Amino acid sequence: MSQPALLQFHQELRKCFQSLKANQTVWNGVLEECTPLLSSLGNLAEQLRALKSVEIANTPLSTFPNLPERLQHKLLNAVDTVLGELSEKVNALDLMRASVCKQVAAVFQMYEQNSELLPISTCVARCALSPSIADMLEWLQDTERYYRMQCIQRKNLLQLLKPDDLTLLETAPKRWTSLDSPRGEDRISGALFQVSFFMASD
Amino acid sequence: MRPELLVLPPEHSDLGTQRCRLGPAVMEDLGLRLGSPVLVTLPGGASCLCTAWPRPDLADAYLQLDPTCSSPNLHPDALRGLRLGAERLTALRCPRVKRLRVTALVQGGEYRRRTSAQAVGALAAELLTGLYVHEKHLVNISHAGTPIHFLQVDSVNSGSHKAGRVTSETRLDVVSVRTVETHRRWAREGSAVPLGGLEEVRASLKEMLTLPLRYPISTQRVGVAVGRGALLVGPPGVGKTQLVRSVARDVQAALVTVSGPVVVGSRPGESEENLRAAFTRASEAAREEPCVLFIDEIDALCPKRSSSTGTPENRLVAQLLTLMDGIGSDEGFVIIGATNRPDALDPALRRPGRFDREIVVGVPTLQQRYRVLQCVCRSVPLSASVDLNSIAEMTSGYVGADLSALSREATLQAILHSTQGGAGNSGQSGGEDGKVRMEHFVKALRLVPPSCLRSSVGVAEFTPVSWERIGGLEEVKLKLRQSVEWPMKFPEAFVRMGVCRARGVLLYGPPGCAKTTLVKAAASSSHCSFLTLSGAELYSPYVGDSERTLAKLFRQARACSPSVVFLDEIDSMVGCRDDGGGSCGSSVQAQVLSVLLNELDGVGFKTAERRGTAPSKRDKERAHRDQRMQLQEACNQDVMIVAATNRPDMLDSALLRPGRFDHIIYVPPPDLQARLAILQLHTEKMPLNSDVCLEDLATQTNLFSGADLENLCKEAALLALHEEGMSVSAVQQKHFQKVLQNFQPSISSQQLLQYQQLFKHSYR
Repeated sequence: MSQPALLQFHQELRKCFQSLKANQTVWNGVLEECTPLLSSLGNLAEQLRALKSVEIANTPLSTFPNLPERLQHKLLNAVDTVLGELSEKVNALDLMRASVCKQVAAVFQMYEQNSELLPISTCVARCALSPSIADMLEWLQDTERYYRMQCIQRKNLLQLLKPDDLTLLETAPKRWTSLDSPRGEDRISGALFQVSFFMASD
Repeated sequence: MRPELLVLPPEHSDLGTQRCRLGPAVMEDLGLRLGSPVLVTLPGGASCLCTAWPRPDLADAYLQLDPTCSSPNLHPDALRGLRLGAERLTALRCPRVKRLRVTALVQGGEYRRRTSAQAVGALAAELLTGLYVHEKHLVNISHAGTPIHFLQVDSVNSGSHKAGRVTSETRLDVVSVRTVETHRRWAREGSAVPLGGLEEVRASLKEMLTLPLRYPISTQRVGVAVGRGALLVGPPGVGKTQLVRSVARDVQAALVTVSGPVVVGSRPGESEENLRAAFTRASEAAREEPCVLFIDEIDALCPKRSSSTGTPENRLVAQLLTLMDGIGSDEGFVIIGATNRPDALDPALRRPGRFDREIVVGVPTLQQRYRVLQCVCRSVPLSASVDLNSIAEMTSGYVGADLSALSREATLQAILHSTQGGAGNSGQSGGEDGKVRMEHFVKALRLVPPSCLRSSVGVAEFTPVSWERIGGLEEVKLKLRQSVEWPMKFPEAFVRMGVCRARGVLLYGPPGCAKTTLVKAAASSSHCSFLTLSGAELYSPYVGDSERTLAKLFRQARACSPSVVFLDEIDSMVGCRDDGGGSCGSSVQAQVLSVLLNELDGVGFKTAERRGTAPSKRDKERAHRDQRMQLQEACNQDVMIVAATNRPDMLDSALLRPGRFDHIIYVPPPDLQARLAILQLHTEKMPLNSDVCLEDLATQTNLFSGADLENLCKEAALLALHEEGMSVSAVQQKHFQKVLQNFQPSISSQQLLQYQQLFKHSYR
């Protein structure tokens, strides 16, 4: 049997899962940093709406010249800044996704190269210490897909945001949180738990 | 024998992953690796491209597939409880896709309008990365939550591969972006109905539609105000509505239909409101995609404005006119109106800016009929004996609707035939069973008359008469054949010799000499439409009515040319202008005469009567077979009129000049040989005694006309019955003789001399 190939492949898988584990913590950290940005974006939108609805001329503030324009300018600037920071964060997420993708692709490439040496029966064989290769590859693919979808969805949401569309800005925090998928995170965590013995058996 | 696989619904976690869960043994059998692409073909032709993965429980008898990339005709419901043989799974070799052309289907027209094609392309490329795609499949990516719901794969690697894997290096071209609703509508309406014989009209209509709809920017840049209205004019049943539908489907434009009766409401102002609503609907649809507003039967909606029709109609017409003016400003939609009564329309509608173009769809010509027949018979199983060419020749005056009715009727006849024949002589028909044969078409031809002749004035039903049924008169028959039959049968020869068909033939001669029968025979031997008019139909108590009837007759005859118009007893119909009669009747006759002269060689005819088009370059490249049809068509465009009279001296001299009645044929009373032939014909079914000598009788019956001879035979038979009792076995010579004794011929020799003298000096 092609024991050396199998061992080599296991090694590759271990490497991949390790970097995945590292990535997961970073990913969650970046996402957490985004939450305050989103809520401030929502606040800014609310302020913009308030500015639109208030008649400043009827208030004591009417003595200040050009107040509504200035306020609007300031708020829009603030929106721009927040959006800029958000897109930086999303870019960071995208970079992370790219590195995950690269590693997963490398694993798959290796599998394809060695697929003669790894027949299906070997791939589906499980033991107490390690899950089967098929399962692990499936988890890797699922994780990669999860990160990709998350990136696409969050980028798409940011692209839709325009400073002049207040309703979109106001609902942005809600929509951002609705993109969170605890299920997907759980599945990654679950997969990592299931491979913990496998990784420790190095 | 491989076991069958039971299809189970996919796991929730597998949704959108394109995985197809199989047992490891099946995967081993098919030579599949983890994640290698596999094409699942379902019964019914639908297919689905998946990647193979082992089931977590490693059971072999089940199949779970995620229909992310599947052909459009795959319904998720069809998968439930299905059992598939393992042979329906095919392992595919999928290279990396270098170039991919897709159509994006997005949710909501707003997104489509706001987003550029590049942005859609970038998003689509990200969504597709890592998926396997198959040509003509629909990739469902709605679970990603983006506005792009589906991507339709048009071609993989410019068509060189069927399937492939999309990577981040794949170059993605978004051909077009459509809304999902639009796509569903196109899918529901199915493919275009083929229309034969309308190619020229279709091309001109399509060009009009595609220019402003497909290239709005370039037409704007050139500064051409492109036509945005077309009026289709043509008799009912030629396929105007069908044409608009098929063209709209071709250019993938939405079609908003308005019909007169639906728009008109009872409350004042309601009709205008409905009309405005229709235009608003069209302009809304035009924002999404190209749009055609089609107003069928526009004559009902927009009649001539006058004081007599009343204000409601006038208001409606005015509303339509202003709406049509209004759409020019924003890049809107195209309006097409269809009518078969263009003269009833308000003249203000028929100017450039409203209906820029008027497209005449005429009654199909011979070649067009051939192509229509090809189209309508596409799905009909024809036997080898069916010659569509000759059916096209026989169906002069048939429009598209008639031809499709004809093919339907022929198919019904064939079904009827096979069910009736199936009980008795099932073995006889051999391989031709269930196929439509020529005889079925001939039977159907009798059941389906051309619709342009259905409400016509001069349609006559007559039993077909063959030339053989007319004794003698060989010279006259030849002349008639020359003018009626030859142009149909030998068009090449006619074109080669540079002769054209005769415009008119006048038959004159003493009464009872088979003039009418001759015309019948001529009409039944050629497959012309045969129209006839008698004085009773022509004359009416209303002023101008007779003239209009005659003009209508000729218009219809032209519509279904080649046709023969037969005017019997023409002397009583048109009379003569220079007989000096000042009475009221003769003045009507003079007017009818002037109409007839005009129709015979007037300046021209109305544009609405145009049929076919001038032969284009494309036509010249057609095969030799078509050439013959073309020649035949060219030879037989005109209406031929055949008139019969026994008082030719009463006719106006203007009628008798060549160019109107080219051939003036004298039908003489039968000579000896002819009389013998006639007698033989009429005594064919009569038991004659051996002493009867027909030659003898023929010599005795000088100056007898054909009708006289027929009467003679009848009288003799009756006399025999009278004298010998009802049980008589044969007619004897003495009966004939007895009848002859007190029988006067209807023609006198003096009369005959008159006829012979009449045209001697000038034409014969």
